[in-house]
Amino acid sequence: MVLTLDKVPVGVKVKVVSVLGGYGIVNRLMQMGLTPGTIVEVVNNMGPIIVRVRGVTIALGRGMARKVIVERT
Amino acid sequence: MEKKEIIVAVAGNPNVGKSTLFNVLTGKTVHVANWPGVTVELKQGVKKYRGKVIKFVDLPGAYGISASTMEELIAREFIVHGEPDVVLVLADSTAPERTLYLPIQILELTPKVVVALTKSDLTHKHGVHIYVDKLESILKVPVIPVSAIKGYGIRELLNAIIDVASGKKGRSNTLVVDYNGLEPFIKEVESYITKSKALSKYPSRWAAVRLLEGDSRLEELMEKAGEKDILDEVRKIRDSIKRSTGKDPSEIAITSRFNYVDSIVKETVVRAAGEQVSVSELLKLLGKAVVDQLERIFQHTVLGPIASLLLLFLMFLIIFTVNTGFPVNVLFDLLGFTELAEFVEAYSLAGLVELTFEIISSSISMLLEAQNVAPWIISLITDGIIAGIGAVLTFLPLIMFVSFFLAVLEDSGIAPRIAVAFNNIFVKFGLTGRAIYPYLISIGCNTPGILASRTSIEEEERMSIIGSASFVPCQARLVVILAFVTTYFKIPLYQAAAVISIYLMAFLVTLTTALFIRRVIFRKKEKPELILELPPIHKPSLKVVWWLTWSYSKHFLKKAGTIIFLVSVLTWFMINYGPTGPVDDISQSYGAIFGRLLSPFLTPFHINPETSWKVAYALINGFIAKECLVETIVLLEGGDIDVDEALLALGLTRVQTYSLLVFMTLYVPCLATLAVIYMESRSVKFTLGITVYIITVAYLISLIVYYILSLTTLYLIF
Repeated sequence: MVLTLDKVPVGVKVKVVSVLGGYGIVNRLMQMGLTPGTIVEVVNNMGPIIVRVRGVTIALGRGMARKVIVERT
Repeated sequence: MEKKEIIVAVAGNPNVGKSTLFNVLTGKTVHVANWPGVTVELKQGVKKYRGKVIKFVDLPGAYGISASTMEELIAREFIVHGEPDVVLVLADSTAPERTLYLPIQILELTPKVVVALTKSDLTHKHGVHIYVDKLESILKVPVIPVSAIKGYGIRELLNAIIDVASGKKGRSNTLVVDYNGLEPFIKEVESYITKSKALSKYPSRWAAVRLLEGDSRLEELMEKAGEKDILDEVRKIRDSIKRSTGKDPSEIAITSRFNYVDSIVKETVVRAAGEQVSVSELLKLLGKAVVDQLERIFQHTVLGPIASLLLLFLMFLIIFTVNTGFPVNVLFDLLGFTELAEFVEAYSLAGLVELTFEIISSSISMLLEAQNVAPWIISLITDGIIAGIGAVLTFLPLIMFVSFFLAVLEDSGIAPRIAVAFNNIFVKFGLTGRAIYPYLISIGCNTPGILASRTSIEEEERMSIIGSASFVPCQARLVVILAFVTTYFKIPLYQAAAVISIYLMAFLVTLTTALFIRRVIFRKKEKPELILELPPIHKPSLKVVWWLTWSYSKHFLKKAGTIIFLVSVLTWFMINYGPTGPVDDISQSYGAIFGRLLSPFLTPFHINPETSWKVAYALINGFIAKECLVETIVLLEGGDIDVDEALLALGLTRVQTYSLLVFMTLYVPCLATLAVIYMESRSVKFTLGITVYIITVAYLISLIVYYILSLTTLYLIF
């Protein structure tokens, strides 16, 4: 089964596989550093998902997190 | 010959510390200006150094220059068309893995770059070490670690800027990033676009990559120049890449750029194990514990919104009390401390400013009378001009306090947490938590509030905010509400209930309108999605807070100052002159004529026909600026009269007062706000449509309120 970012428990580090969705959203997420291969750590998973990526903390809406396909490292 | 003036564009990610550095570089010489090629005003400031005049232009914070948001587009257009001598790009030295992306992207567009590594005083704390020399030799442009707060690296930065501008340092060609699989296609597109006139200003390799990524702005330029045939070829190539790789070319391009960033970081950055190096001092540990706790509260689904609301409520409670005495005076009154209540009111800032202006006005009038100056000139000066200036200045403390608190929220990193906390509620109205920024600022003043909509990622959300933010009661409207409520409602509890209910109603209308615009006008069903960076929570810097406070306040003063002054003089003329020349009886004046034209709309409220034209005329002036509403009524009643007496002279019932207040709060954005709505939406149709919508909604809601209150038992309460 495909693992998406919204299903990742707090404290777990995962690797981005790909980002789905419309042009603007994908562009934005990627420019903020969520490119394939990047390691992401989930900090909080209530309401919007809060992740640490490339030294920065980012909050993502759940719907958006569902579009980020990840795999366990 | 070397130029004496050097233009420097300052670019950086949001939260990279750009406004702080900008202020350190330019000091007090900041003002906004229009620049060629960019349709918006940009902040600029000047620094004289080594006999040169260095003009810094503050570009909007952006993550890239791919034009996927307004900010990115503005930043890029300035770099290309504003012809800066140097682009100063900021990267956060505590997060180089992410923030070096922008310098890389800009280096692809122009070689005239200086990179500043901000917050370099914090690198040690974060366990980051950057080999600056190595980074400089890879990028081939000056890289300067700076700390705006501690003030170091500034001189080195200025030297580097002058050296790059004069060509002594830096590179002569743009950076070439290896796009791997895209390379053959880039060459192909480049060969097509050499024929393009629309793209002649852009480096051809850069433009080719951008076109492959799908750049709406460049495509628009080509279409306008009638180069659709070239564009079609490019699109064909793009589609074939998509088909063969299954990926969007933009995904490949961004990934390649980040791979390049990663390779640079690998060679130049060392991170100590763990994000933060453990700090031994007890105090610092305590500070970290507090920050962690705050973080936990704001991220909690239930506690987050509650904490945010409490924080905002407390903030406005303090602001309102210091400024107008409200609502603490009401509370004291309620508890039986009438004298204390009067004291709070009299010594509130607004009370003191008012008193000062009464004294100034009467002494000037006496002075002029002694000089035998014509009565109409005295009247113009005291009733028109001084009264007008007084009205502006009563607002200044209010504006400054709101600006101060907003600045604290922004600089401490609390503001984005509030946005996250509000996200779950706002999503139901078709907005993300980010919309809290423009709405919060709108409580101060709608104009900058609407400008703050630019941070929206999604166009529909941006338009929803632009169209709805003017329903948020600004401070000018608060003053109108307070004036009417304290005059017509004597019981403190009712005063408080009236103000709070009007605010709640206005917020509900705001959010509903946002949803209406999204669902009905744009027919968009999906929810917008939140993407927001959360900078570390930290103690706000007084310096930064003051800069932000002053820049917000100055904006208001300039706008309100000129408009209120003009309206005061105009109103004075309108009520002292009529078709027959100067009039003694106000009801023969131009103002009365205009007011009578509109007063039929007030008939359903059963307002005394003797005074309804005054209300109507005040409403017209309120369109120019809401703060003029009360001012106009005072002038209509003779000028030399207290606000409550003037309002009582209108002879309204409480039900009429309340429903009129609902109307005045909602009815129409002021002239300046309307101008900004047009500027931001760039659509006459949208601006006109939204104006008609706002007036209709305001009229209907206030009528409904009026009839519900008149016809039901609620009437008894009043």
